[in-house]
Amino acid sequence: MKSFVFAKRTLKEILRDPLSYIFCLGFPLVMLIIMSVVDRSIPAQANMTVFHIENLGPGIAYFGLTFVMLFSSIQVSKDRSTALLLRLYASPMKPADYMIGYTLPVCILALVQMGICFVAAFVIGLCTGYTFPIGAILLSVLALLPSIFLFTGLGILFGSAVNEKAAPGLCSIIITATGMIGGIWMDIDGLGGVIQKVANALPFYHGVTLAKSPFRENPKDTLVHLTWTIVCAVVVYILAAIIFRNKMKKDIR
Amino acid sequence: MSYSIEIKGLRKEFGHKVAVNDLELKIPEGSLFAILGVNGAGKTTTIRMLTGLTTPTGGDALVLGHSIKEDLEAVKKLVNLSPQETSVAPNLTVRENLEFIAGIYGFDREKIKQKTLQILEQFGLDEVAHSKAKTLSGGWQRKLSIAMALITEPRILFLDEPTLGLDVLARRELWKEIERLKGKITMILTTHYMEEAEALSDEIAVMVKGDLKAVGTLEELKRLTGTEKLEDAFVKIVEEM
Repeated sequence: MKSFVFAKRTLKEILRDPLSYIFCLGFPLVMLIIMSVVDRSIPAQANMTVFHIENLGPGIAYFGLTFVMLFSSIQVSKDRSTALLLRLYASPMKPADYMIGYTLPVCILALVQMGICFVAAFVIGLCTGYTFPIGAILLSVLALLPSIFLFTGLGILFGSAVNEKAAPGLCSIIITATGMIGGIWMDIDGLGGVIQKVANALPFYHGVTLAKSPFRENPKDTLVHLTWTIVCAVVVYILAAIIFRNKMKKDIR
Repeated sequence: MSYSIEIKGLRKEFGHKVAVNDLELKIPEGSLFAILGVNGAGKTTTIRMLTGLTTPTGGDALVLGHSIKEDLEAVKKLVNLSPQETSVAPNLTVRENLEFIAGIYGFDREKIKQKTLQILEQFGLDEVAHSKAKTLSGGWQRKLSIAMALITEPRILFLDEPTLGLDVLARRELWKEIERLKGKITMILTTHYMEEAEALSDEIAVMVKGDLKAVGTLEELKRLTGTEKLEDAFVKIVEEM
């Protein structure tokens, strides 16, 4: 109950910040439109499929989660810098209440963002001659669920570990890494070499590939991508909970 | 006489620094008890230990009969504090801030509604009920901060420098609110302002570098130091005792 009360407060705080709409909803939509225009400009002979709407839609739905991470980190670090958390630390709230209270609103925001992203991709697809199968969209959303926890965990982790000025900086590293080696803006499989090794070692490429899988005729290594994404999400989330708890003790020392 | 708080050899060390040195103190039920001291005297650390924000290095305290070392969860349900810094959710309205804290302390929907209305009226916050907390002046924010502590019906309220940084009018306004609560709940007030302690307190304790130097009513402290004003008594206690 306490966690839901705290979650409601966090959701209100996020929704009342205009930047949430710009970054969480507006930015992925703009990217989707711009990259669709770019795709139209690439000659078919180039055989570059990464910007085709069936790849771009799930790719940007995944990329949007990085902004959810950014907001979660800003919210946690901002709360830590005010005396509100001090008041709450003296209340009967338990560490799990804080984790749930920060996670739930961010998950809701992520799901809304994904919904908007896929609806926009569906409309763009219709305009460009591709019809998104509804079942595949639902499967893709399901495949993105572990990644929601991964990015929420990263947001809480950064927000707990550093202050509100440093947290967005750390998030921007992850945003860049996701874009570059997640396979959203370039074909990692086609590149190979060190880049592919690094991409394989991190969860982003696996998460993006997993989100694109339902739209592919013969998806490969789905179980590997799913396992790796879930393992990373669980590890990051547990780490975030531990660091939040430790920082909570340190903050009030 | 029954006591709300019985502090028994409470001690807090930060590394080699002793912030609170084996404090022994009894605070009568329903009283307004002021803790005076210059910066670093150990006032805030004492409050933090009594509210569960900091773990004591040694000793214990019974808060309404519950040990802060062994039964902290029970203590947390019975007390509340208004921290030194204004602690409100900036993007929530005044009403939402009150409802939020009442919800955190487990009140049901009906009670939240009823208590919110009561506190809004009691603190004269009705006129700003729908304003976001971040848009309020310092005085209003501090008032809201205390109202948020009171909505949970605490039996002990800790007020850590409640009027710090406020102008004279806002301070006097807040004093009125505190005075209205006298006798109804136990209040522990830390302050730098002598006139605040003089105007509000039933009993005053003076702390210096973690040590408790003197405890008594205003008259007792004046008699003890042979002075006429609390400020003079305080200076004498800090410098000579």
